[in-house]
Amino acid sequence: MAEDSYAREEENYEDEELDETSFKSVKDAVLFAIDISNSMLKPRPSPDPKKHGDESPASAALKCAYHLMQQRIISNPHDMIGVLLYGTKSSKFYDENEEDRGDLSYPHCYLYTDLDVPSAQEVKQLRSLASPVDADDDVLKVLEPSKEPVSMANMLFCANQIFTSKAPNFSSRRLFVVTDNDNPHADNKGMRSAATVRARDLYDLGVNIELFPISQPGHEFDTSKFYDDIIYKASPSDGDAPAYLQPDTNTSTAKGDGLSLLNSLLSSINSRSVPRRSLFSNVPLEIGPGFKISVNGYLLLKKQEPARSCFVWQGSETAQIAKGVTTLMSDDTGQEIEKSDIRKAYKFGGEQVSFTLEEQQALRSFGDPVIRIIGFKPLSALPFWANVKHPSFIYPSEEDYIGSTRVFSALQQKLLDSEKLALVWFIPRKNASPVLAAMIAGAEKIDENGVQKIPPGMWIIPLPFADDVRQNPQSTVNRAGDALNDAMRDVVRQLQLPKAVYEPSKYPNPSLQWHYRILQAIALDEDYPESPDDKTVPRYRQVHKRAGDYILKWADELKSQASEMFGGSAATSTLVKRGAKIEAAGDHPAKRVKVEDSTSGMEAEVKRCYEKGTVSKLTVVVLKEFLHSHGRATAGKKADLVERVEQYFEKKF
Amino acid sequence: MAEKEATVYIVDMGRSMGERHHGRPMTDLEWAMQYVWDRITATVATGRKTATVGVVGLRTDETINNLDEENFSNISVLFGLGQVLMPDIRRLREKIKPSTTNKGDAISSVVIAIQMILDYTKTNKYKRKIILVTNGTGTMSDDNIEGIIEKMKEINIELVIMHVFLLIGADFDDAEYGVKEEDKDSRKAENETLLRNLTEESEGVYGTLEQAVSELDIPRIKVTKSMPSFKGNLMLGNPEEYDTAITIPVERYFRTYVAKPISASSFVPRPGTEPGSQIPGEGNVEGDALASVRTSRTYQITDESAPGGKVDVERDDLAKGYEYGRTAVPIEQTDENVANLETFAGMGLIGFIKKDQYDRYMHMSNTNIIIPQRANDNASLALSSLIHALYELDSYAVARLVTKESKPPMLVLLAPSVEADYECLIEVQLPFAEDVRSYRFPPLDKIITVSGKVVTEHRNLPSADLKDAMSNYVDSMDFITTNDEGEPTNDLPIDESFSPLLHRIESAVRYRAVHSSDPVLDPSERLTEFAHPSEEIVKNSQSHLERLMSTADVKKVPPKTKGRKRQRDTEKPLSGLDVDALLSLEPKRTKISTENAIPEFKQTLSRAENIDAIHDAVQQMAKIIETQVTHSLGHSNYDRVIEGLGTMREELVDYEEPVVYNDFVRQLKGKILREELGGDRRELWWFVRKGKLGLIGKSEVDSSAVEDEEAQEFLAAN
Repeated sequence: MAEDSYAREEENYEDEELDETSFKSVKDAVLFAIDISNSMLKPRPSPDPKKHGDESPASAALKCAYHLMQQRIISNPHDMIGVLLYGTKSSKFYDENEEDRGDLSYPHCYLYTDLDVPSAQEVKQLRSLASPVDADDDVLKVLEPSKEPVSMANMLFCANQIFTSKAPNFSSRRLFVVTDNDNPHADNKGMRSAATVRARDLYDLGVNIELFPISQPGHEFDTSKFYDDIIYKASPSDGDAPAYLQPDTNTSTAKGDGLSLLNSLLSSINSRSVPRRSLFSNVPLEIGPGFKISVNGYLLLKKQEPARSCFVWQGSETAQIAKGVTTLMSDDTGQEIEKSDIRKAYKFGGEQVSFTLEEQQALRSFGDPVIRIIGFKPLSALPFWANVKHPSFIYPSEEDYIGSTRVFSALQQKLLDSEKLALVWFIPRKNASPVLAAMIAGAEKIDENGVQKIPPGMWIIPLPFADDVRQNPQSTVNRAGDALNDAMRDVVRQLQLPKAVYEPSKYPNPSLQWHYRILQAIALDEDYPESPDDKTVPRYRQVHKRAGDYILKWADELKSQASEMFGGSAATSTLVKRGAKIEAAGDHPAKRVKVEDSTSGMEAEVKRCYEKGTVSKLTVVVLKEFLHSHGRATAGKKADLVERVEQYFEKKF
Repeated sequence: MAEKEATVYIVDMGRSMGERHHGRPMTDLEWAMQYVWDRITATVATGRKTATVGVVGLRTDETINNLDEENFSNISVLFGLGQVLMPDIRRLREKIKPSTTNKGDAISSVVIAIQMILDYTKTNKYKRKIILVTNGTGTMSDDNIEGIIEKMKEINIELVIMHVFLLIGADFDDAEYGVKEEDKDSRKAENETLLRNLTEESEGVYGTLEQAVSELDIPRIKVTKSMPSFKGNLMLGNPEEYDTAITIPVERYFRTYVAKPISASSFVPRPGTEPGSQIPGEGNVEGDALASVRTSRTYQITDESAPGGKVDVERDDLAKGYEYGRTAVPIEQTDENVANLETFAGMGLIGFIKKDQYDRYMHMSNTNIIIPQRANDNASLALSSLIHALYELDSYAVARLVTKESKPPMLVLLAPSVEADYECLIEVQLPFAEDVRSYRFPPLDKIITVSGKVVTEHRNLPSADLKDAMSNYVDSMDFITTNDEGEPTNDLPIDESFSPLLHRIESAVRYRAVHSSDPVLDPSERLTEFAHPSEEIVKNSQSHLERLMSTADVKKVPPKTKGRKRQRDTEKPLSGLDVDALLSLEPKRTKISTENAIPEFKQTLSRAENIDAIHDAVQQMAKIIETQVTHSLGHSNYDRVIEGLGTMREELVDYEEPVVYNDFVRQLKGKILREELGGDRRELWWFVRKGKLGLIGKSEVDSSAVEDEEAQEFLAAN
């Protein structure tokens, strides 16, 4: 157990940089500030009337907030999110009462979802506000705009107070402002300068304001009118890396159609859903002996796993998570021991070989963090199989060496142009074990909404050591003849993915989504969804429609080549199931797939038994074989196997 | 299961082995034992009971063996065949010392070793081996040598003879190592012939110690037999629904898998023993002064009414569950799998992509190979056609893989691999939508200004000159790899690179087992071979590097000026508006308010014209922080306090006013310890320690009077 948690600690260590220099806790808080006005509430029709697409800017913004909230429950379960509506007729701020109108601190600011790690109830509330079709009137009343204008200074200070009290000492705090009003205090200089002062307060507090401007039909959102005074060049939490200033939503929101507005807003908010957290910072990239620049490392690709299960206490009104406390005891004396007393030792020859803490550290130390280039190779030298884990992304930083960016850029462009990779000795942080890695250049990629998908920079791909390479197990090679290869080529050609690329955004992780979908249903006491929306399931109908004929041709060719190569022995089985007619005709009735000759009749046999209700008469070997060929588990007693076989048929028919 | 082993080491311990030769700092015996200990500890490290070792001493003072004949005198069985454990190593360490005699027959010792192996292994299946290490100066009799060879062949023993080199006239010829002594003593020449003959006849290995020791630092790679991680069907289309679906039975094995270093376990020193040290030798047969560590887990919930706010609960009263946001979601035991997606094993092809449209950095995992089901000719023929079709079309396949029923699906990429005598698909995991984090960064080849203008000349962009210098440098620094014939290849040096951590820990443990009082060694050169570019590469690219460096004009930032100061100019909104000027017009902002303390503190400092103003601001801030502490319910305000404290410290370091901060934090600590701020606030001090918010020391700001040790102590002292 102790070892387990130790290993886990180490793994986490890999994950995100433990910033030892900062007193701040590495958490993120996002507060949406959504402008509620008549123009924000006006639905924009969809160009395709058949589709549901009537979307007002406000509802699009709320949908985005809802989407982000759900997403963050999965990806950043400890980060906070909140929704503040401004410009509303009604006001709400913590325990302040609507009735004492005269005394309201923040009139026309409505804190709809308090800044916190969201609860299931809050998810539900936001959902009802985001899809007003099913919402009741009480909810909709919240969205009624105020007649008098809201003071931007007041709204910003309201946000300030929310961050100050709810997310103190967070390393990242962000205010997402969604509005279509580019000039809120056009004719009031005092209000305007008050707002700029309040914006400066937020900056000094370490809150980053991110603007999601929505252009009104026939009017481009012009940031120079007001927001350029509100928004700062560098993000206060990530002052080192340059901010990404390219406006992205602007162009596409002007077109005025609801669906594209929602999509572009979604893609724009998604791209900023997580704060930039570095994996390692200011590590020297040593281009040659004595020539260093500094870079920061980021994890852009990381497997997202569902959170571990935990223990829940249901004795009180609301269920709560029980916190596990581990105490360490000496096996000898049973006494509790401090972590600092623990020695690490290796089992060897029936005893322990131990090292002092300093020695342990010395053994793990191979020098200071560095990315050191030891030579260059053509990109083609990097084999497909030479991979052990996800890559790290690096981007230059001017913190330690001025001029890093231009040198990095020159190197990145050279590697792109010449299709070369750099071989590097890579120690990401102190006491991390060194790896040999391939550093490759990556070009910037932009999506259809003009939002950056993949940033420009370089990727470090750790290579396997000789120790990590496994020998290929023995395998028989029966090389297919040209005709068979040609037949398969035709199949492959028919089934290319769109644009012949793999696009990760099209494939949400089905088990992760299902997991949280069910949790949400349990938490809100709702019905379970019928079936998962699994985008990774191949499109069977399309395969059949587009490639069916080619597959049959391939199957015939396979049959003839097989009988030629292996004689009669394999001729009876084929890899493709033919129509039922053939099945009924022969002595070997079923020929689904199974190439093991013995099983070609097994399928039909099992099916016959099922229809007669005599599955239990089959032997365990047959049952297991049948289950295995259908991807079912084969563990358990015979009764379990029989049940599973019956389940299989029940589901099918 | 690995094969059983029986290995007998015969160590020549004759008097002449105690001499030093060739300017080596150690005796021949010590030198020879490097090799022997390495081999023995490598066996011990496996922890296998069936990997047995025996040790025989040759030319010992005593005679300890079962063959009670004169021929076998001065030969001692030091350790009978069996598993070697730590106490045995210590005992052997004591025993293996040069003797006072040069008597003892090497051939006889081989006979004894054969007998030991015969007695121990009987007719069972064993890997049998005898390793003789000698300098070959003793008398050797060739009586009945044919009989010995016969016997060894019969019971299949591999004989390895390692020879110690001697300086004067006694070196054994070794053409490969280029050593040949001219005036060879005739007896040694005879011995050499004899031993060489013996090994050759019995199909053994005859080598020199020189070579054996020099190869010690070549890491030995543990060969792991792979088990299939998936056996099932590769499918195109759905065979359950359509009659046009392809199903190919396949198996999946690791292609790469990271070998982890041996892991350490936790122990505590037994009371009364010195931690971390082990007394070598017989006096400490038990050897372990360490007791293992057990863990016990208890569960707590928050209960405001309880003292300390927490209550212990029984594990049995808890349900399994998950967190959904901050809502705890219990899952009834009856439908424990409700949150798991129902899946069935199989590998379903989703579609195909072009090789050149794929970015190599999308690889997310280790790699596997997919080969046809064993002894299934049709499957191998079918898979072969897919492999070749992909190969010829420069394409990859994308597939959904479920390795076992109810396991979460993975998306994998399949690439064809065609070699002369092997075909397979190579498989690697692809990222899902959730696995891609979008952090955005500005372009590297242009600058886009606030107003949207594209700039191509900028201090952050490389000039044509710089690009040219970089290009030349990169081209001059090709990493050369060669094949066995010395011809250049287009490979990465994967086969020659060894996991530094794994091998270093392994050899350190083995070294420590034998030499318990020596310090840990540096990693062997072989492990850090790729830590630096080779001298040759450096030499070839030297002139290009010089030009690159002068063109690039990179300047190191002195450590002291790092940080915020440099970025003052960015503290302006995009429009460049001077907000500071507006701020100074704000009449209200003469006093720092509690609710907007941090921004107002920062702004007050930036406006401060003299030290008094800074003092004043710090005083105000100090008051606010103390009030927050006093009014904190439990730890409710601690995060705010830490943020305030951290901000103060950061700012005062920037303004190089350490004294003001140090005075304040000293006072604060005093008040906390005297419980003047609303009771017991020791937990807060723990946060202060964790955030490293103690005194500002000399190393941070020159003008500080606080030595770094004092700063350390200040934090540590409770």
